[in-house]
Amino acid sequence: MKNKVSIIMATIMLCLIGLIMIYSSSYVWAEYKFNNPYKYVISQGIFFIIGLVLMRVVAHLKIKTLYKFSNGFLLIAFILLVLVLIPGIGVVRNGSRSWFGIGPLGIQPSEASKLALVMFTAKYLSNNQNYMISIKKGILPIMLIIIIFFGLIMLEPDFGTAFVIVITLAAMIFISNTKLSYFVYLGLIGLLGFSGLIIIAPYRLERILSFLNPWSDPLGSGFQIIQSLYAIGPGGLFGQGFLHSIQKHFYLPEPQTDFIFAIIAEEFGFVGILLIVLLFLVIFYNAIKLALNTKNLFRKYLIFGLSFNILFQAFLNLGVVCGLLPVTGVTLPFLSYGGSSLLITLCSIGIILNISRNNY
Amino acid sequence: MILIIIFIVGIILIGRVFYIQVFAYNKLSKLANDLWSRNLPITAERGLILDRNGKILAGNITTTSLVLIPNQIKNKEQVTADLAEILNVSYDEMKKHVFKNTSIERVHPEGRRLSFEIADQINALKYDGVYLLKESKRNYPNDNLLSHVLGYVGIDNQGLSGLELMYDNYLTGINGSIKYYSDGKGKRLPLSEVYDEPVNGMDLYLTIDLDIQKAVERELDNVMNKYSPEHALIIVEDPNTGEILGMASRPNFNPNNYQTYSVETINRNLPIWMTYEPGSTFKIITLAAAIEEKKVNIFNDYYYDSGSIMVENARIKCWKAGGHGHESFLNVVENSCNPGFVVLGQRLGKENLFKYINDFGFGNKTRIDLNGEEDGIIFKLDRVGPVELATTAFGQGISVTPIQQINAVSAVINGGNLLKPYVVKRISDNASNTILFENNKTIIKENIISKDTSNLVKFALESVVANGTGRNAYLENYRVGGKTGTAQKVSDGHYLIGNYILSFMGFMPADNPQVVVYVAIDNPKGVVQYGGTVSAPVAKHVLSDVASILKIKKTNEGMPKVYNWFDEKYVVIPDVTGMNSDDAKKILKGFKIEYVGSGNTVINQNPHGNTYVSENATIKLMLD
Repeated sequence: MKNKVSIIMATIMLCLIGLIMIYSSSYVWAEYKFNNPYKYVISQGIFFIIGLVLMRVVAHLKIKTLYKFSNGFLLIAFILLVLVLIPGIGVVRNGSRSWFGIGPLGIQPSEASKLALVMFTAKYLSNNQNYMISIKKGILPIMLIIIIFFGLIMLEPDFGTAFVIVITLAAMIFISNTKLSYFVYLGLIGLLGFSGLIIIAPYRLERILSFLNPWSDPLGSGFQIIQSLYAIGPGGLFGQGFLHSIQKHFYLPEPQTDFIFAIIAEEFGFVGILLIVLLFLVIFYNAIKLALNTKNLFRKYLIFGLSFNILFQAFLNLGVVCGLLPVTGVTLPFLSYGGSSLLITLCSIGIILNISRNNY
Repeated sequence: MILIIIFIVGIILIGRVFYIQVFAYNKLSKLANDLWSRNLPITAERGLILDRNGKILAGNITTTSLVLIPNQIKNKEQVTADLAEILNVSYDEMKKHVFKNTSIERVHPEGRRLSFEIADQINALKYDGVYLLKESKRNYPNDNLLSHVLGYVGIDNQGLSGLELMYDNYLTGINGSIKYYSDGKGKRLPLSEVYDEPVNGMDLYLTIDLDIQKAVERELDNVMNKYSPEHALIIVEDPNTGEILGMASRPNFNPNNYQTYSVETINRNLPIWMTYEPGSTFKIITLAAAIEEKKVNIFNDYYYDSGSIMVENARIKCWKAGGHGHESFLNVVENSCNPGFVVLGQRLGKENLFKYINDFGFGNKTRIDLNGEEDGIIFKLDRVGPVELATTAFGQGISVTPIQQINAVSAVINGGNLLKPYVVKRISDNASNTILFENNKTIIKENIISKDTSNLVKFALESVVANGTGRNAYLENYRVGGKTGTAQKVSDGHYLIGNYILSFMGFMPADNPQVVVYVAIDNPKGVVQYGGTVSAPVAKHVLSDVASILKIKKTNEGMPKVYNWFDEKYVVIPDVTGMNSDDAKKILKGFKIEYVGSGNTVINQNPHGNTYVSENATIKLMLD
C-alpha cells in the first residue's frame, strides 16, 4: 500500500513539475509560433487529465484482461506501425515519419508499441520460463518479434525509441531464466547491426561523434549539446530561478521536448535536478519492491519491464542532455511535452498500480 | 545485477550534472553570457597628464558616437533613411551599417565624434537598436605646448609617441560596457542591463611647471620670429633634484592634429636627441675639474693671452683677435678665453679631464624618462692627443646632447652630485586616490667635486654674468650665474663657416641655485653669431619669468663688479705691509686680525695684499 502511494505521489509530482516547466520553457516559442504562450501547456494539461483518467481506468482493469489482451494489443501496434510508414497516413515531423496527424494533435504509434511489446514480452517470458535456456525454443521467437518491431521503428526512423525498446526487452530477458553468454552474442549482433545502421545513414555517426566534442562543429552537429550545456552550466547549484532561463529564448531549439531537462537545470540548478532524479528513483524503487512481492511471473516481468522502461528512458534523456550520449531524440517521461508519451507513461503507471492492487 | 548497473549509471549521470553545474560553472557561464549579451562599449577616459601643480596638459573631451544593434532595429528602411539624412551620407552608405549581419555595429567614421546637435536629432528619433554612446577623445588644451614630451594619441586613444606612448599602459583605462541580454534571434530581452563601469586611466603628474613652460614656449616663438634659426631649444631644470621644469624645442607640433606634421618633426625631441659640439658652455666642466684638482687658483694664477696658443704645430686661436693679454684665470672664465682653457686642460692632463667628463655624464644617456635619447660622442682616451685634449677643454671636438649639458652643469652647481633628470613626478589613480609610482631624486654619481669647488665655480660664473661675456643675462636684483657658448657646426668633418649653435647656460640664484636654464639656438639669421648676444637675453627673459613664478627672493647683494659670495663676501684686501699697525687695523676694518710678534710696523701679511679673500677670513699680520 505504501509503495502504491509513493508511486502515485511521485507520478503526480513529476507530471505537475512537467506542466509547470513546459509552460516555462515553451512560452517563448509558443508566443512566437502561435501567438499564444499557453499553447503547449494547455495541450499538455488536457493530455495530463486524460492520462490521469486512463491511469485510473487501467489500474482497475482486471489483470487477466491485460494478460489476454497482450497479443491483440501487439497486433494493433504492429498494424499502426506499418500504417504510419505509408505517406499520406503518417506525417513527417522532425525528419521522422512517426506520427498520425489528427487535427492539431499527433499520435506516435511507436510509443504505444513500447507498451504493447513490454506486455507481450512479459507474457511470453512468463509462459516460456523453462525454455529461455534454449535459443531455438526460448530466445529466437521473441528475438524475431523484437527485430521486426525494431526494424519498423527504424524505418520511420526513430532510433531513440527503437533503442529504448530493445534495451528494455533485453533487460527483461536478462532477468529471466536465460544464459548470460547469450547476451554476449546479442551484444555482438547488436554491434553489427549498429554498424550497419551507421553505414546506411552516415548522419548518425556525425551525431555520435558530435557528443564527444560538441565544439568541433558548434553550428552543426554540436549545436544542440552546446546550447544544452549553456543552459545547464549557468544554472549552478540553485539555478537562475523559475521563468528566468535565457536559453529558452530561441537559443535551445524546442526546449519543451527533448531538452526540457536542460531548462529545469537552468532554472532550478543542481538541487532541482536531484529532486527530479529522486522522483524517478522513487517510482522505480517502489515498482521493483512490488515486483519482488509478486508471485505471478507475468506481473513480475510486466512491472519490471514498465518501470525499467521509464527509468531507462529518463536516464537516456539525461545522458543526452548533459552531453554524455549522442543526441538520440528520446523524451523525458512525464516531463517532456508530448501527448502520446505522457499517455503511454501514465498507462504504464496505471498497470503497475493495477498489479499492486491485485497483489493482496 | 541490473540494479547495480542502474545505480552506477545513475551516479554517473548525477556526477556529470554536478560537474557541469559546479566545476564547469564559470567557464560555461562565461561562454553563455558571451552568447546572450550584446556589449555596448563605453570607452574609459584616458588618464590626464598634469603639470606639477595639477594644471592640465593633456585632457579629454567627451564626444558621442552612433552604435547600432541591427537585430533590434524594427523598421530598417525608415531608420536608414532618417540616419542617412541626419548624418548627411547616402542612403546606400547608411544601409551597409543598418543591414549589416552583426551583433553590434559602430557607424565608423560618419557616426563618430558627433556634434551635440546631431546627437540630439538622433536621440529624438527614439528608434530601437539605435544607440548613442559617450566616447572620450584626447585633447591638448595648450596645443603645441610641451608637444615633444607629451606626444600624441591615435583615433582610438592609443598613445603613439612621447609620454603618451611610454606610459600608455597606465594612461589607458579599462573600457566598460552596457550589457544587453538578447534572445537567440537578436531581440532584446526584458532583463536588467548590466552596467560594467569603465575604469579611467591613471593620471600622470609631471615635474613640468606650466607657467615656466609657457615662458619657454613664448621665448622660443620669439626666437623663431626674430632669427629664423634651423632649430632652437630651451631646458629648465631644478639642479637640486633633477626635475625638468620646462622643456621645448622648435620645430614642434600640435598633438591635436599631428597628422599635418612630418615624422621627423614629431619624433625628434631635440633637447634629448640633438647632438653637437657644446662650445664654451662646456668650459664649466673644465673649470670645475681644474679647481677640484687644485690645478688653478682663479684669483692668483695669471695667464697671458696673446690671441692664440700653439699645441703641437696647431695654432688654436682665441675668439678675440689679439687676445685678452694679461689676465687672471677668473678673467679667463669671464672672457671665455680659449687659450686659457687650453692651459687648464694641459694642467689637468687627459686622464684627469676625461675622468671628469665621464663622471659628469657625458658620452652616456642621462636616462631621463623620455623616449629617443642620444648618447653623444666623446673621444676614446687612447685617441686623445695634445690637440684633442686642448680642444676638448674648451668644448670642441666632442658631441653632447643638451640634456647632458644642463644635467652636468646642475651637478657642478648643486655641490657635485650628478642626478638623473626626470619629467614624470608621479602616477596616481584618481579613483582610489593612491599613488602608484613616485619619482624621486636619484643620484647617479656623488661628490664628483667638493662643495668648495662648486662654490668657486658658481662664483666665477656669477662674475661671467656680472663682468664677462654673459652680461646680457644679467638680471637686476637677482644673482645670476652663467656661461655663453658659441659652437661652430660640423658637417662632413669640416667646420661650417658662419653657422653656429649659440647657447647659454644660466642659473639662479647664483649662490644657491634653484633653477638652471639652457638655451641653444641653431644658426640664427641676421645677427652677430655669439652666444652672449643671442642666447643670453633669451635665458634672461626665461630666468626673469622663473624668478617670479618660483618666487625667488630679490636681493641687492648681487651687484655688478662687487663680488658677493654666500654669506662670505670675497673682497680684495689691500696691501698693508710697511704700515703702522693702527693704520693697518683701520684699513682692515671688519676682518679678524691676528698679530704675530710685537711691534708697530707690519712687515708681512697673510693672505697677501690685493688678493680675494673672504670677509670672514682671519688676516695674519707680522709685526716688528
